[in-house]
Amino acid sequence: MHLLQDAAFGDRIITLMAALVLVLQIAAVGQRWIVSSIRIFAVQSFLLAAIAGIIAYFNHANHIYVAAFLTLVIKAGLLPWLLEGLVEKIRIRREIEPLINAPLSILISGCLTLVGYVVASSFYHPEETAGRAALGHNTLAVAVALFLIGFFTMLNRRKALTQVLGLLSLENGLFLAAISLTYGMPLVVELGIFFDVLVGVLVLGILVFRIREAFDSMDVSKLRKLRE
Amino acid sequence: MVLLWLLIVPLVASPLAFFLRRRAVMERVNLVAFAVLSCLAAILTVQVLRRVSVSFWNGFFYADALSALVVLLTSFVSLVCSIYAVGYFRQDEKSGVFQEKSELQPLLVVPKLREYYSLTPLFVFSMVLVALANNLGILWVAIEGTTLASVFLVMFYGRETSLEAAWKYAIIGGVGLSMALFGTLLTYYSAHRVIGTDTLSGLNWSVLVGNAVQFDKPTMRLAFILILLGYGTKAGIAPMHTWKPDAYSEAPIPAAAMLAAGVLNCALYGLVRFYILTSRCLGPEFASHLLILFGLLSMAVAVPFILVQKNFRRMLAYSSIDHSGIMVLALGFGGPLGVLGMLLHMTFHSITKPLLFFCAGNVQQHLKTELFREAKGGLVHSMPLTGAAFLMVTVAVTGAPPFSLFLSEFTILRAGFSGGHFALAILFVTFLVAIFSGFLIHIANLVLGSDPGLPPGETCRWKKFSIVGLASMIILIGFWIPAPLFRLIQDAADLVTGAR
Repeated sequence: MHLLQDAAFGDRIITLMAALVLVLQIAAVGQRWIVSSIRIFAVQSFLLAAIAGIIAYFNHANHIYVAAFLTLVIKAGLLPWLLEGLVEKIRIRREIEPLINAPLSILISGCLTLVGYVVASSFYHPEETAGRAALGHNTLAVAVALFLIGFFTMLNRRKALTQVLGLLSLENGLFLAAISLTYGMPLVVELGIFFDVLVGVLVLGILVFRIREAFDSMDVSKLRKLRE
Repeated sequence: MVLLWLLIVPLVASPLAFFLRRRAVMERVNLVAFAVLSCLAAILTVQVLRRVSVSFWNGFFYADALSALVVLLTSFVSLVCSIYAVGYFRQDEKSGVFQEKSELQPLLVVPKLREYYSLTPLFVFSMVLVALANNLGILWVAIEGTTLASVFLVMFYGRETSLEAAWKYAIIGGVGLSMALFGTLLTYYSAHRVIGTDTLSGLNWSVLVGNAVQFDKPTMRLAFILILLGYGTKAGIAPMHTWKPDAYSEAPIPAAAMLAAGVLNCALYGLVRFYILTSRCLGPEFASHLLILFGLLSMAVAVPFILVQKNFRRMLAYSSIDHSGIMVLALGFGGPLGVLGMLLHMTFHSITKPLLFFCAGNVQQHLKTELFREAKGGLVHSMPLTGAAFLMVTVAVTGAPPFSLFLSEFTILRAGFSGGHFALAILFVTFLVAIFSGFLIHIANLVLGSDPGLPPGETCRWKKFSIVGLASMIILIGFWIPAPLFRLIQDAADLVTGAR
């Protein structure tokens, strides 16, 4: 049988890519150069687009092709480009020391991955959903882990821009979860989410720029005038 | 068809205000747009009362009594806020807020006003879309849209503190809403074996609600928790409320009033939709326990901050946290009485809350401070109208008779007792009394007292008009609720409890 018609082969490729996505996410936790974090996000989004494309190919589901294409253009291309432009403009290249140091952060991310597996297996019954070729069903745990690690990054990092990246990786986790659970959201919702992500990054980008102008720093921990 | 117009009107008003540039024109564009919107909302109400539900574009847009109620309240709030905004920004301009600047750069008057008058219709557009979207995914997109449209309104004055507030608002809102999206996704997953996945109408409310009994139960449980955390963040329920005092005290008054009386309803509307699905799927207990817990927690958090508050703008935010707690608690008590109490409270709160903000705005613009300590009391001598209205609306908003919020809080209390939650209902009353006394002491100290010798502060017709108009509506609705409005609320409550 030809490889390109063999669903088991597709499944293996998807699992491999999902594992890579997770590894990249953990690598981003230990990363201190902001540009590298942005590039990690870009590669991650590229892999997600590929996963979506493979699922679309094996299931002949046209609406997933659209989602894959948009992920490729917006999340792997446009957003990293915009964010790198912003880094150039505000001339901040490195994250300051995070609250928790890198080795411990990576350890915590590992634990969060385990939590992701436990959560995913607690309510997820792939045998019931196997109507079509049950592709990509083991990626839910990775998706939940991405989501949790994204949360952790946002708590741990203090630069405004890295928090935006944390928010984006939350969104990537959701995208993967949507693909592995239900083969994506309905197309119109998917389009709406892409629109919101794009506008959201523009708005937050302007905000980061203004904060940088006003405070001469992007350190969110300096934002603490408003107190009771 | 009216559904489409409800969306087109604010959507057209935004670029119109952006390109027409002249201040008087921008003001009028906003006023006319929101007046038309209110008329359309009234038409929608009539249609919904007659036909139960209205849909458009193969059910892409859909309105029943619940959505009509939210649209009606949103359009009302945006209309009164746009009337007040005219006077508010004219006074800002006169007192030179736009010229003296801040640490950053001089603010230019017209671009600043243009920012306000073109973003506000977009903001209103997304709030209306929240209520009219049939698809629960689009509902999420629209709620996220309200955040995106209002971030720049929060940082309108460009102070360092405004940037901080806007940042918190955007990031906490973004994280919260990502949880809500996860909840929406899980709802879709728990439903997809019943209704299939790849249709366009896969997440449509009108399809989901009929099949909710067969949804996958463990998934639905997790979904509701995520939805409660997500839309709860947007509604400012404790412990996700921390953005609220900052955003409410930094945004210009009309925008803050729209956040407090508009977005709050939209977030709760989203929560109610998922509550209906969850209680049909799992029975009412599961959701009830969570809602009661978060509702009482929000009220408990608001109490100490109101009692020792130094800043009256922040006090309004804690009042808003308190009120969203009350509504969530009412939903948790459930039953016909609890749900009716919640929707009555939503209605009365949306009518009362803007006036509280307007009075605070007048005081702040006159005294150039938002601290009780620097205000020194005796306000009624320089601003008799605002002072009187401020006292009245304080009594009204804390739920004292004869004002309408007393009626809704009493209904909620009865729901608590008839549901057998005696201890919780007593706790509810205790919190209400504490908040009432804290609020009244602060505002009475601000308004009453000997004359500090300030010049008279009420010169603007627009501000006087909006205050007198709104105050008379609040008094009126305390004694007489229009029959169609009450029927709309009753229909919406029946929808939630499944009585129809």
